[in-house]
Amino acid sequence: MSYDSLINRLTEDLKPVRRRRLGLDVMIIAVICAVELGLFFAAGFARSNMPAMVQQPTFWWRIVSLALISLISGALAILSFNPTYSPRRGIRWLALIIAICIVFGLCIGAGPLGLDAIIRRLNWQNGVQCAGKMIALSLPPLIGFGVLMRRGAPTDRRGTALLVGLAAAAWGAFVFVFACPFDDPLYITVWYSVGCGIVALISRFALPRLARW
Amino acid sequence: MPVPAYLAWARASWGGKRLTESDWRALMVAAQAGNAGVYRRLLTEVGAWLQRYYYRRLPAAMVDDAVQEVLLALHEKRHTYDPSQPFGPWLAAIARYKWIDRLRVMKAASMEELSDDMSVLDHGEAVQSARSLEVLLDRLKPAQAEVIRLVKLQGLSIEEAAARTGQTISLVKVNIHRGLGRLTALVQDQTDEL
Repeated sequence: MSYDSLINRLTEDLKPVRRRRLGLDVMIIAVICAVELGLFFAAGFARSNMPAMVQQPTFWWRIVSLALISLISGALAILSFNPTYSPRRGIRWLALIIAICIVFGLCIGAGPLGLDAIIRRLNWQNGVQCAGKMIALSLPPLIGFGVLMRRGAPTDRRGTALLVGLAAAAWGAFVFVFACPFDDPLYITVWYSVGCGIVALISRFALPRLARW
Repeated sequence: MPVPAYLAWARASWGGKRLTESDWRALMVAAQAGNAGVYRRLLTEVGAWLQRYYYRRLPAAMVDDAVQEVLLALHEKRHTYDPSQPFGPWLAAIARYKWIDRLRVMKAASMEELSDDMSVLDHGEAVQSARSLEVLLDRLKPAQAEVIRLVKLQGLSIEEAAARTGQTISLVKVNIHRGLGRLTALVQDQTDEL
């Protein structure tokens, strides 16, 4: 069969295009994240006792873990906007890194483990608030990634959407670390996982529909 | 004004030579720059390649739709092609993506389940007749049986049967005539025995 009519139409519609550039995508996301972090500090949301906080091992555990997860998943997500890149293997490595980070955190600050102690440590009312704030802080990078994903050509939309969600969620949690009043590793592991998990799931199920091409 | 390399190549190769990877790349770069003539050539070549790709992977009725869908996708996403990378894998990734997408749609599409007690025609009689005919043909001379199979069963012309068997046209006609006569006699003998 000949596709002449379609080819004619596409040829008539042809205009010069500006090529997608990896570096530009990285810069856009970096600017969004930097502006968000700057505004966060400028608005005075950071904890007032920062000098004491930086001496806590859990602070560095959170900062390093979340920065690592955010960087890796963000880089993999941007790479997977190219149709030839499959994010599957990257997701498996990322899952391993997340598991290592969680285990490491639980090891550095094991507390009492009785049922009452665990319920008290989890402090669900504050935990829900923390998760909500993390989700809100994840939105700017999530939107930025979403726009770039729509402009790109991911051929594994679900995998890419999951990576985008993880990157945005980890960044939101990273920013929130500077305001979080809790240092208990169990609390952090559970509620940060809840917040990040919700963002990742929303991204995983919503973005593939928006990025259909 | 000097002619760009890709345009010089495209003009020189319009005669229908087989494209190499660097040719594909040059065409795509030209298309990204907005060269309509080269783009038409690229889409035509890609369309032919996609047809071959999908004929091996999809039901024939779906091939044209799939090819058109990829051509549209290529048009929409042409800015994502990086000229420092080969064009073939980029195109193949898009074609594969659209193929998997189509398979998902096929899987999700509702299928009407056939009931166990649905009535169907009984093919037993036809099978039995075919078997009886084979037995009768085996009792003919091989040259007669062969031309009867080709002309009366497979629908070839006398000339085609002659070319295939190496017999002359008149010999084919004679063998068919004698073979059919012999078959009639065999059937009559069997009927008389019953």
